[in-house]
Amino acid sequence: MKHLKAINNKAKLLEQAVGEDRVEEVVAMSAIAGCTATVDPGWEVDAFGGVASLCQPMESDLYGCADPCWWPAQVPDTMITYPDWNKDAANTREDWRNLGSVFPGDKL
Amino acid sequence: MKITKIAAAMSGVAAVGLALASSPAVAAASAEALLRAKCLACHTETDAGFSRIADQRKSPEGWLMSIARMQIVHGLKITDEERRAVVKHLADTQGLAPSETEGARYALERRLNTMEAFESEQFTQMCARCHSGARVLLQRRPASEWEHLVHFHLGQYPTAEFQAFGRDRDWLGIALKEVVPDLAGKLPLESEAWKAWQARAPQAVDGEWSLSGHMTGRGGFSGVMKVSAGKGQDLHALSFEGRWDDGKPMAGKGQALIYTGYEWRADLVVDGTPMRQVFALEDGVLRGRMFLRDHDEVGADVVASLQRDGNARVLAVHPAYLKAGEEGELRIVGSKLDGEVGLPPGVSLLETVKRSAGEVVLRVRAEAAARGVHPVTVGKAGGASLAVYERIGKIEVLPAYAVARIGGNGTPTAKVEARFDAEAWDAGPDGQPGTSDDFRIGVVPARWSVEPFDEVAVRDEDVKFAGLMDEATGVFVPGGAGPNPMRRMSANNVGNLKVVAEVEQGGTPVRGEGQLIVAPQRWNNPPIP
Repeated sequence: MKHLKAINNKAKLLEQAVGEDRVEEVVAMSAIAGCTATVDPGWEVDAFGGVASLCQPMESDLYGCADPCWWPAQVPDTMITYPDWNKDAANTREDWRNLGSVFPGDKL
Repeated sequence: MKITKIAAAMSGVAAVGLALASSPAVAAASAEALLRAKCLACHTETDAGFSRIADQRKSPEGWLMSIARMQIVHGLKITDEERRAVVKHLADTQGLAPSETEGARYALERRLNTMEAFESEQFTQMCARCHSGARVLLQRRPASEWEHLVHFHLGQYPTAEFQAFGRDRDWLGIALKEVVPDLAGKLPLESEAWKAWQARAPQAVDGEWSLSGHMTGRGGFSGVMKVSAGKGQDLHALSFEGRWDDGKPMAGKGQALIYTGYEWRADLVVDGTPMRQVFALEDGVLRGRMFLRDHDEVGADVVASLQRDGNARVLAVHPAYLKAGEEGELRIVGSKLDGEVGLPPGVSLLETVKRSAGEVVLRVRAEAAARGVHPVTVGKAGGASLAVYERIGKIEVLPAYAVARIGGNGTPTAKVEARFDAEAWDAGPDGQPGTSDDFRIGVVPARWSVEPFDEVAVRDEDVKFAGLMDEATGVFVPGGAGPNPMRRMSANNVGNLKVVAEVEQGGTPVRGEGQLIVAPQRWNNPPIP
């Protein structure tokens, strides 16, 4: 990392994790059932086990990340499985209330 | 693949659920005809049955997810009733033996705060990174089928390889050459356990069941569940009458369907609230979880036993603890509770308040000498214990790590609560908590609060935004969905919180801590996470 200088908070956190030799620990963490925790950033927690480095608010860049199946267990992929999931929410900044569950009857 | 076809199929799946077969008209005999009519368009007939289908075994929920996917992705047209018949048939004929679900039932029981940890780092990385590992452990396939599943992942989620760091390693090579043989070895299509299970005699379920449970955030309960033959194969009508430990009555009615000879799935309405039971039936005992159908994070651990000869059991004592030197009422719950009550030494009987085959209510007094955890028996029945404690030395917050989810606020996705229990421990004769002579007292009332988990949570004011903890019940209700303009970067109401339970002991608070992540909503919510 000696040729790279962190210029934002996330990069600084990463630098810190490398400095503390915590990178392996982050990758190997176990996850709560069905949570995407080991992807950086995860859906529920970030690589540090907190929420400060999640994509936040998640609506701001949801499709940029979720469409290529970044969090396939949490967010329906619109590429193949649920192409119409977000048909009423083209602009998540305005339409975020129109996003809903795709398997709503599972608890019957 | 035609996108229009997929979109059309989606609308029909809105109400997909593992609902109970309601009509005997579509019986098991016609399920095979249905399979033939619905599946042969794509699947081919082989010596073993239908291609792909014949090479898999899984749970009822697993089969439901497969068929739902055929509807969503491949345009299968099937009514809810037909789907129920097919799921039932496949779960019965290509299910899992009870032993094959051990260690993974938490997923079926919707215990979504379970921390998964697998010995194999490769399994964690390759499978349990995106979905629960339990989803895999609840399936059985030969190597050729596991291989198909790898290819399915690449076809259905074309970026999976890239997301799973396929740029830095031979992801497909690892998946096909290492993971497939590993899964085929550990989770094979054919097993002795399944052979033996298929040859078993059917288990009796009709009759009176004694039931004991504990719901986090609400407390213990017990009662009688009456089960009788229903209108259809493996269908049973049930009614429940009981009481919460605080004396409030509790009653419900519904019906259960038994899959694979032991997978008990019941829908019932308890005091106006739809609930679901996911139990495993084994040798006169039902064990599992009962939860709100529409809020599965709200649930109870349940055990029940059938009143029948040779099934004498003590299921639980309510409450399961007494303070030394004090008097209290104990409710011993079980089946065939005939004969003398065996109380621990130092616990004396003051009065027998009530007695039946399913319940013995006693007024007792515990002396200091009785300190410890002791078995409680009634005649030949045993299986539960009573803790007599002197002092609460330690509080454990359960679950130690939980996830709540924001929701509501005008969105169709409900908030997911987090609920906690305060588990008390006596520090034992040495008075030092954390040593080997500690013993578990049980779940006790506590004063609940949340604090920032770390400095970042202080800075982002997570306590202020992420939701509210009920001081008396340990029930945390998360904040509303959506970007919050009041927060830094308009962040969602997510948070990283410390959950604190405090119990007063002689004027000194004893404190336990857990962690709560308040996460964004989850929109993809199949029966097995």
